[in-house]
Amino acid sequence: MISLDRASLRYGPILGLSPTTFELPEGGGITGLLGPNGAGKSSLLQLLSGLLPPSGGEVRVFGGAPFRNPAVLSRLGLVPEGDRLPAGLRADRWLRMMGELSGLSGPGLKAAVARALATVGMADRAHLTFARMSKGMRQRIRLAQALLHEPQLLILDEPFNGLDPEARLTLMALLRDLAARGTRILVSSHILGEIAQLTDRILLLFRGRLLAEGSVTEIRQLLDRHPVELRLTGEAQALARWAVEQPELAALRMEDGAVVLSVRSPRDILPRLQKAAAEGGIPLRALDPLDLNLDAVFQYLTKDHA
Amino acid sequence: MNAASPSPLATIRATARGYAPRVLQGRGWVLAALVMAPVGLSVLIFTIGRMRGLDANPGEALRIFHEGLVKMMLPIMALVAAPAGIREDLEQRTLPLLLVRPAPAWALPLGKGLPWFAWGAAWLILGALGLQMVGGDPALLPGRILALVGAWWGELALMTLVGLLFKRGTLWGALYFFLWEPLVRIFPPFLQRLTFTHHVESLAGSRAAQVGAHQLLAQEQVTTHPALALLALLAFGALCWALAGWKLQRTPVGLAGAEAEG
Repeated sequence: MISLDRASLRYGPILGLSPTTFELPEGGGITGLLGPNGAGKSSLLQLLSGLLPPSGGEVRVFGGAPFRNPAVLSRLGLVPEGDRLPAGLRADRWLRMMGELSGLSGPGLKAAVARALATVGMADRAHLTFARMSKGMRQRIRLAQALLHEPQLLILDEPFNGLDPEARLTLMALLRDLAARGTRILVSSHILGEIAQLTDRILLLFRGRLLAEGSVTEIRQLLDRHPVELRLTGEAQALARWAVEQPELAALRMEDGAVVLSVRSPRDILPRLQKAAAEGGIPLRALDPLDLNLDAVFQYLTKDHA
Repeated sequence: MNAASPSPLATIRATARGYAPRVLQGRGWVLAALVMAPVGLSVLIFTIGRMRGLDANPGEALRIFHEGLVKMMLPIMALVAAPAGIREDLEQRTLPLLLVRPAPAWALPLGKGLPWFAWGAAWLILGALGLQMVGGDPALLPGRILALVGAWWGELALMTLVGLLFKRGTLWGALYFFLWEPLVRIFPPFLQRLTFTHHVESLAGSRAAQVGAHQLLAQEQVTTHPALALLALLAFGALCWALAGWKLQRTPVGLAGAEAEG
């Protein structure tokens, strides 16, 4: 569905995206595009959505170069960053125009507008002008315009920015539903928690470079030299005595009623820990992995490349 | 669903219809006022003069037409309306929403400009009709209407193109209208034909007839057949719309909205 072959993007002398190579297969599912501000997320999305041609390399979406290519653009939908919409227009009429620009007409157009509005929960407020809508409502309309022609690939650039928690959860549920129905979704964010709630599959960008690709777990496995931190709660002294005998232990620190271990190869040590706890060999009450999450992966990777 | 790509005509029609409500907002009424203010004021003065027993001056309508509408208000209308066309989407960063559609991008500037052209043309026709009340020659009315509408078509298209070519398009447009155009009186024949004023005068009758010889500068005034002048205005406008479309079609416009500038 998507393939980049050493695709890069320059803004004059500034490198927006270093030569990047990756592929996303056909089919539904959500892929998170993660990175801090200025990492190159929007640059990558602009390449994929055909707004900008690559400065070097090749971008192919549905087998074609997307820049000003109707055959590709008719199969993708884009929700750009921000909440800007043309001033002074009514949502339903504007959506009708966007549908026509997507090649829809007649009863099909009317049905598509109604369906998109219903999908984003705006059917009863579509007669409002954009100026009279809240930010959350405008974001839903922006999503609706991208869904009009039922795209196979939906690209969202920082869609959660500025949304209140409820609107955020609603949008996440909507994206999950779309993905379950076969739409491939590529969503960018600089907030790790958002992506972690949506998907396990991520592309990690930093300073215009694709640092990693895969699930959080897969990426974590690439980071052998970064020990995983585990907090063992129980009798700290006894737990520490057991821990120092383990070959995977890299570091240890004591806390009140707990011990925090830095271990390499957690897959090796965890079964032994579970077994020892089950047999009563160690006084373990709770086990919490401290950094086996997206934030930790992000921190490690960006620290290495800073 | 993935419908087929819309044709250029469908794109222009959809865009024009979609953005038509914009002309009924503040900017649209400014356009209306730009036409009706000089015409309305002269009608008022004429009415008061008539009540005092003064006769209409047949040259008055010609003066308002040339000095008020053509020289002053038409360029200002173009400077006001053009930024509300495709340039507005570029500046407000809503252009990507249009460009990510399978519709031909080159048709968008014309589609967005047409509602403004139609709105402005309607008021210009009304203004030309209003000039009849202050003693305008009925025989010159069709020529005045064609001249105003033709010049409006060309000037709006020119400003749309300049707005896509330059970041400070309005400034360049103002320089053209208020520095270049007035030079028509001293231009040699070839350069006279490169002004809107020349073609407007060819269509609507020349103000030069009302000006003493000592006020005209060195060069001889040339004339163009009215039909050719109208054709020149329409063709120039069409060329500018086409170039604006070509510029948009080939220029990458990203989410930052700055890539197409300059």
